[in-house]
Amino acid sequence: MDLLDELTRVCPDASAREARPDDAVDGVTPEVVVLPRGTEEVAAVARLAASRGRTVVARGAGTKLDWAGTPSSAEVVIDLSRMDAVLEHASGDLVARVQAGARLAAIDRQLAEARQWLPVDEVVPGSTIGGVVATGICGPSRYLHGAVRDLVIGVTVVRADGVVARSGSKVVKNVAGYDLAKLFTGSYGTLGIVTEAIFRLRPSPEHRRYVTATCTDEAALAPVLADVLHAQQAATAIEVDRRSPAGPIALAVLVEGRAGPVEVRARAIAELLGASDDSEERPAGWGTLPGPVTLKVTAELTSVPALLGLVRRLAGEHRLLPVVRGSAGVGVLFVGLAADIAPRVLAAFLGDLRVRCQSLGGSAIVLRAPAATKGALDVWGPVPGLELMRRVKQQFDPERRLAPGRFVGGI
Amino acid sequence: MGFDDHHPPRRELIDDCVHCGFCLPACPTYALGGEEADSPRGRIHLMAQVLDGASLPGSVTTHVDRCLSCMGCLTACPSGVRYDELVEATRAQIERQVRRPVRERVVRALIFGLFPHPRRLRVARAMLAAAEATGLRSLLRRDAVAARLPPFARAMESIAPPVSRIERLPRRIPADGERRGTVGMLTGCVQNVFFSSVNAATARLLAAEGFEVVVPAAQGCCGALSGHVGREEEAIRYAKSTIDTFEASGVTVIVVNAAGCGSAMKEYGRLLRDELAYAHRASQFSANTRDLSEFLVEMGPRAQRNPLHTTAVYQDACHLAHAQRIRSQPRALLAAIPGLEVREIAEAELCCGSAGVYNLLQPEAARELGDRKAANVLAADAELLVTANLGCLMQIRAAVKRSGRSITAVHIAEILDASLQGVPVPGTARTAVPVAEIPRPQGV
Amino acid sequence: MTPADPDARGVPDAPGDPVAGLAERLALLVGADRLVTDPVELAAYECDGLTHYRVVPALAVLARSRDDVRAVVAACASAGVPFVARGAGTGLSGGAVPHATGVLLVMAKMRAILELDIASQRAVLEPGVANLDVTRAVAPYGYYYAPDPSSQQVCSIGGNVAENSGGAHCLKYGFTTNHVTGLEVVTPDGEVVELGSKAADPPGYDLTGAFVGSEGTLGVVTKVTVRLVRAPQSVQTILAGFGDIDAAGAAVSAIIATGMVPAAIEMMDALAITAAEAAVGCNYPEGAGAVLIVELDGPAADVAHGLEEVERHCIESGAFEIRRAADDAERSRIWVGRKSAFAAVGRISPDYIVQDGVVPRTALEEVLRDIEVLATEKGIRVANVFHAGDGNLHPLVLFDAGVEGELARAEEVSARILDICLAHGGSITGEHGVGLDKVKAMSKMFGEDDLATMLLLRDAFDPGGLCNPGKLFPTPRLCGEAPGRRSGVHPLVESGVADLF
Repeated sequence: MDLLDELTRVCPDASAREARPDDAVDGVTPEVVVLPRGTEEVAAVARLAASRGRTVVARGAGTKLDWAGTPSSAEVVIDLSRMDAVLEHASGDLVARVQAGARLAAIDRQLAEARQWLPVDEVVPGSTIGGVVATGICGPSRYLHGAVRDLVIGVTVVRADGVVARSGSKVVKNVAGYDLAKLFTGSYGTLGIVTEAIFRLRPSPEHRRYVTATCTDEAALAPVLADVLHAQQAATAIEVDRRSPAGPIALAVLVEGRAGPVEVRARAIAELLGASDDSEERPAGWGTLPGPVTLKVTAELTSVPALLGLVRRLAGEHRLLPVVRGSAGVGVLFVGLAADIAPRVLAAFLGDLRVRCQSLGGSAIVLRAPAATKGALDVWGPVPGLELMRRVKQQFDPERRLAPGRFVGGI
Repeated sequence: MGFDDHHPPRRELIDDCVHCGFCLPACPTYALGGEEADSPRGRIHLMAQVLDGASLPGSVTTHVDRCLSCMGCLTACPSGVRYDELVEATRAQIERQVRRPVRERVVRALIFGLFPHPRRLRVARAMLAAAEATGLRSLLRRDAVAARLPPFARAMESIAPPVSRIERLPRRIPADGERRGTVGMLTGCVQNVFFSSVNAATARLLAAEGFEVVVPAAQGCCGALSGHVGREEEAIRYAKSTIDTFEASGVTVIVVNAAGCGSAMKEYGRLLRDELAYAHRASQFSANTRDLSEFLVEMGPRAQRNPLHTTAVYQDACHLAHAQRIRSQPRALLAAIPGLEVREIAEAELCCGSAGVYNLLQPEAARELGDRKAANVLAADAELLVTANLGCLMQIRAAVKRSGRSITAVHIAEILDASLQGVPVPGTARTAVPVAEIPRPQGV
Repeated sequence: MTPADPDARGVPDAPGDPVAGLAERLALLVGADRLVTDPVELAAYECDGLTHYRVVPALAVLARSRDDVRAVVAACASAGVPFVARGAGTGLSGGAVPHATGVLLVMAKMRAILELDIASQRAVLEPGVANLDVTRAVAPYGYYYAPDPSSQQVCSIGGNVAENSGGAHCLKYGFTTNHVTGLEVVTPDGEVVELGSKAADPPGYDLTGAFVGSEGTLGVVTKVTVRLVRAPQSVQTILAGFGDIDAAGAAVSAIIATGMVPAAIEMMDALAITAAEAAVGCNYPEGAGAVLIVELDGPAADVAHGLEEVERHCIESGAFEIRRAADDAERSRIWVGRKSAFAAVGRISPDYIVQDGVVPRTALEEVLRDIEVLATEKGIRVANVFHAGDGNLHPLVLFDAGVEGELARAEEVSARILDICLAHGGSITGEHGVGLDKVKAMSKMFGEDDLATMLLLRDAFDPGGLCNPGKLFPTPRLCGEAPGRRSGVHPLVESGVADLF
């Protein structure tokens, strides 16, 4: 019996079908696509794939399938779009349990009924929770509310061998057992398939104000940024946006809360920024990734201006026009480059950038780039603790069946 | 060998400890070494071990000996464990039963053969005066020579103050103006020989506040030093003698200007609980003992305080702050001196390492603690150091000197006296200007 | 070392003294002055803050540097000797209980603050630094370290990492895991690994996140990089007295429903108040059946606004007295009662068990009623102190060991409280960890597959099973052990793993 038949037999509801060209995972053609309706079905598929020695890649809305490394193989695509429910919303406890295929936008619509939200920005439109957890991608709100890993309090995963396991719980305060949710967040689907996740929520803010200012360059930015970081105005986000490498830098600070207090805080921040604008409208490009080739660079907080200066200098050296946007308050920035950038040039730019990022305490990785270009790059760079990570992978997926090659060190 | 039958540390008290560890950061020896057995929680555990059959000599003795009896743990403990009773009982057991190495015995014999004996102290003082006059003392201080001295001797030399003239106190000092009451005053042992000016200042201060001061001539050592190291019989002898002396003088309230002594005297009730003829009298005596600042605040001020425009750091003596829980009164008295800026120090709760004769018995640990306290004192950057215990004063001053700096250290009685009398604070040129002499602005 | 037999996890092959040889080797590696071999001194390390479990280690090492730690762990690994790390020994789940034939790695001397990088809002610490000392060091610059367990004056950062400690303010600020950005770890094979750094999002698996809360079973932390939080512009604390728990609970629900996130919401019942009063004289509202401590912090305008709302909700729910702290001193006084509650209970009862469980906040009232019914049924008093904002309960089960049968009944009440928590979808531990004390309860909260999956992580770090064995996860031999005070032969003794002195 071929794989498709067996899948249909094992999971009749899972609508197993042959893969089409548009099912390609970062250019890698799968064999079959299956759409399970629940965790047990996902487990059955995983078990079958294991027994048949097939590789497995999970998919939500497919918005981030081409991120990071290209998998060496992706034979079975487990599409979780049917598993899109908000299973539980305990508004009195500010906790929600959602299926991995649920879209962020839909989740927030439902939570909004109780004036709450999942404080994870929809950086890529159409994202599902599963992809957000797998990549750990965060937007501006992480400054106040924490990253994805800080918001997940429980997960249900299907292991490579099909065993279903849960960790964490529905209560925010829980230290029983290992925090596997941390392990799975940002693991790019290489340790297991997250089918459900439990999150802590926040009350929806009533009012918001974006206070924006423009700095001529990174030297002008540095003292202003330091002031804003040190200010006690409980900002939700502190973002920078530089549309051209040597151009002005837009600094935007978001404050949220009750109307009166928000006014007061916005004014206080405006004073710190000097000449500034103040609006309820979000600035253009807020919380989006520059691209289409996107690098993610991190550094210690004090080094953010230096990072901007570095990109400017390297852009000059390599004759590029990168756009830089991201959370200056957290030290995580995204560098966007044109799609037609030559692989050799990108490699050189990335290499120089990475070396300096490391000396600034951070890292530089490739988030998005054409598959062919990525082939010539070291997508992840040096990773401290890689040996230990290999051992973890060896335990969870000894046969390397989950998105092989996508992650650090070729994991 | 375990505890003998004479007042071993009580199991019920030991069981009060819930092992929470809140005492650890309050303990100077834990702060130095980070070892469990040198923390109050650890020492209590060691006592329990002896009750359960472990041997008293050996590491139990070593770790209990290292305790400063600063009572910082008493303040920190949320369960109210009576560590003071436990360690006192254990020390007495050790003194009675554990045979110390020869050198230790010699050192202790020297200390207790000297300090509580006023006449012998005066001889020692004369010898020191001679050593100073001939320059021998500075010779002893030179590094090359000092390094050759046994640690105990080096420590003793470093803290001993420069010899000064002994101010003798009359037996009775009348009150200034209308008499509010009569109090007895303890003159102490080392204090009376080497810091008689402090006693003189205390007597003047009390008189200025309207109290007649009775200073019994026959008084000797109050037994605090003996009691704190567990020389129980000796402590009891001194206590009885002190009680007899003050009773004979006819006073009720006894004012003490030394934190260590006051603390010991407030414990006479417990110390003499087995002495039929004294038990009740001792409790009364303890109830009538007052620390100087406690007394002055209780009675309320009467004499005018003249301004002193300077900065001072107040250091809490452990036997005042922890053992007697007297913290606010000295501060209140200092705050009442106009123009005086009083600063607090970091790690205020941590002992300076003087701890009775600890700095002579455990010189290395005491030195480290002294250095730490000195650093905190100097960091406050004040002109004066004010304390309520001369042991602390000597210890901190020596440590400050070791660091190559200097500070003027005074007893709280001296600074209050200066304020009241309009005389210079000892060691400074600062004079409290009597308010009456400050020229009034024209036209007012 | 090849642990062929999973049952042998943590039990050295030959009871015939691999430790003696190890002691000699360690004396050469780290210096004899760092070894503790005296039986009296070793016995002082036999337990942590939970005195129910006591095991004297065969050997202890007072580590002073990462190299000491590495040498000890590597030597233990090659000798097949188990090791346990200990900070200040204030844990409440027996996580630092030594192994009778193993080495206790005392980290208390590694207590230097290595770096303060205020501008980047980071501090790099040795694991023995006391939690509060971090805040003390950065307070002059206007920052603090947010996780604040009640034992913060003494508990160590390393211990906080092991337990993922929280504290009263975790409702708003999260736990240790949300404030640690990097770790230096000595893995159980004696290698030093750097995980994370001062920057965010280190590439690869979030091993830092997996390590925090792993209760010392994945390795020994030798350096911790923490995030510092800007001190709030304004802090306001109120203490409200209510007639009973229900009224106080209603106030909490109302406050949460407004959309506010207070920095802390703590509740104490009448019995707990009595204890705190006896211990520290906190002078809480007289006759209160429950008190609520609500703390708001943040920008001044928000706090002022929020405070009015909080007070309004308290009054509407029936508070008969409300006090606002006028200054820092008063704020301290309000908190001192709550912070000393555990140790204070010793004054109103000869013995007690501190339990730690979590339920969804909305289930609190029902759970407290269930506990009351249970307590009455068993004739055992239970005082309640809890983090009302996040449903983390600390029932203090009071008893007198001198009275026949009370100990057993108290243990039963304590264990059943955890069952109640689980029945309401909660957790067996919110803060204190599993350690030794709740190993058996892990099987009630998690299925076999769940535990097996967690063990995969453990095997990645510690295939030899020598790093704090016997803690956190049930092993076949320990399954029969009852939590709480032990009576009779300790299972560790029975299994030959421990010796009773």
